[in-house]
Amino acid sequence: MSDTVLRADGVHKAYNGLQVLQGVSLEVGRGEVKVIIGPSGSGKSTLLRCLALLEPIDGGAVALEDHVLSGLRERELAAHRSEIGMVFQRFNLFQNMTALGNVMVGLRDVRRLPKKEARERALEFLSRVGLADKADSYPEELSGGQQQRVAIARALVMRPKAMLFDEPTSALDVELVREVLDVMEGLARDGMTMVVVSHELRFAHHVASSILMMDEGRVIEEAPPEQFFSSPTHERTKRFLALVE
Amino acid sequence: MLASFDTHLFWEVLRSEPYWRGALLAVALTCASIAAAFLIGFPLALGRASRQPAVRIVVFLYSWFFRATPTLLLLLIVWDVIPQQFSVFTHNWFTPFLAAFIALSLNEAAYMAEIIRAGLLAVDPGQELAGRALGMKRWQILRRVVIPQAVRIVIPPTGNEFITLLKLTSLASVISVHELLTAANEQASVSFSYREVYGAALVYYLVIVSVLMFLQSRLERRFTFRSRGVGRAPVGLAAAAHDAR
Repeated sequence: MSDTVLRADGVHKAYNGLQVLQGVSLEVGRGEVKVIIGPSGSGKSTLLRCLALLEPIDGGAVALEDHVLSGLRERELAAHRSEIGMVFQRFNLFQNMTALGNVMVGLRDVRRLPKKEARERALEFLSRVGLADKADSYPEELSGGQQQRVAIARALVMRPKAMLFDEPTSALDVELVREVLDVMEGLARDGMTMVVVSHELRFAHHVASSILMMDEGRVIEEAPPEQFFSSPTHERTKRFLALVE
Repeated sequence: MLASFDTHLFWEVLRSEPYWRGALLAVALTCASIAAAFLIGFPLALGRASRQPAVRIVVFLYSWFFRATPTLLLLLIVWDVIPQQFSVFTHNWFTPFLAAFIALSLNEAAYMAEIIRAGLLAVDPGQELAGRALGMKRWQILRRVVIPQAVRIVIPPTGNEFITLLKLTSLASVISVHELLTAANEQASVSFSYREVYGAALVYYLVIVSVLMFLQSRLERRFTFRSRGVGRAPVGLAAAAHDAR
């Protein structure tokens, strides 16, 4: 039995004639954590946006639990997007809402939950990321690390089938990185299916089921962490790892 | 020998019916025109970014025509030319006030559209992206996320427009709308006591604009998203790109 949650099949994507993804395939099984690394411009973020159904693709397919979704129209896509959680590099919390409001809005507008129930569930997820006491704070009153944890709660509260993280710690001051990674490690332990674009190699080492190396719009190497770090096969991977470490 | 300032006359004029009626008329005409300009300007602002080229052309032509036409000329066209062309406008219901309202609204909408467009564009695109990732529909994102944030940006330039328009209402005297400045002029031509008569008119304008400034700062605070209600520095778009007319 295949238990693939999220799958990309030969995905192609171009912006203004520039080939950003050139046939990327990827399979994420239930409870797996895939960490994607690669130089800037290699297509990591674009791949994540395509997996989150935020970008139409030019070729190939994206499937969630064996349902191909990449060909759907905008109106049908909206509902499916809520089944995939997305966390952005720059948090993108709604500036006009409190932390609680940010976590509630998806439940209210997309899941159509009554206010009281939405509020209770949102509070529950805020405490899961350790921020119950910040429920009434607005994003600009929170630190970057706190904002990112609210953003994770906002995605998580929708009970997504997979969570995607686009460089979730690279906009954070060093001392705030840990609190976000701790939340993500907790999620991974609880069996959440995750795709993480990140250069936090220690996190990748501890948490990843496998690590993917992307370059020039392709996945050039995929291996479990031990193997990936000790004996990378690709010359490009060796050079990149030498630079990052 | 200079005559001394006639305080008695000043107070009398200040309290006279033509003055407060004229002031009321000017404020009413300004409020109504700003409100209508907002209603017309909003779809125009959205139309600027439309995928339909025809919509974009209509919006461009509107803004081009009404920004190029002097307000005074537009008042004369609405009051004198239109009734000649369409006989329905020759009836009693077509009052000078209504004509002035139509002319000023159409004119002001071209400017409001620009202000609203700038406000919508100033909202971080990451906000919309996050809304889409949550599964919210476009209008939900607009209503819940983008518009509340754009309002804060739009308030200061709208305050400027209000003040400009308040002063422009005096142009409506050419189509026999008896607003404040017309009342002052008539009083001056009777008494020749320019200082008292114009001074009283000045007092009205100062009071009206002061009230507006107070309301504006209240509104700005209301749309500043902080829990302790401490206003932050204005966004700085206030006086920017304000067309001289």
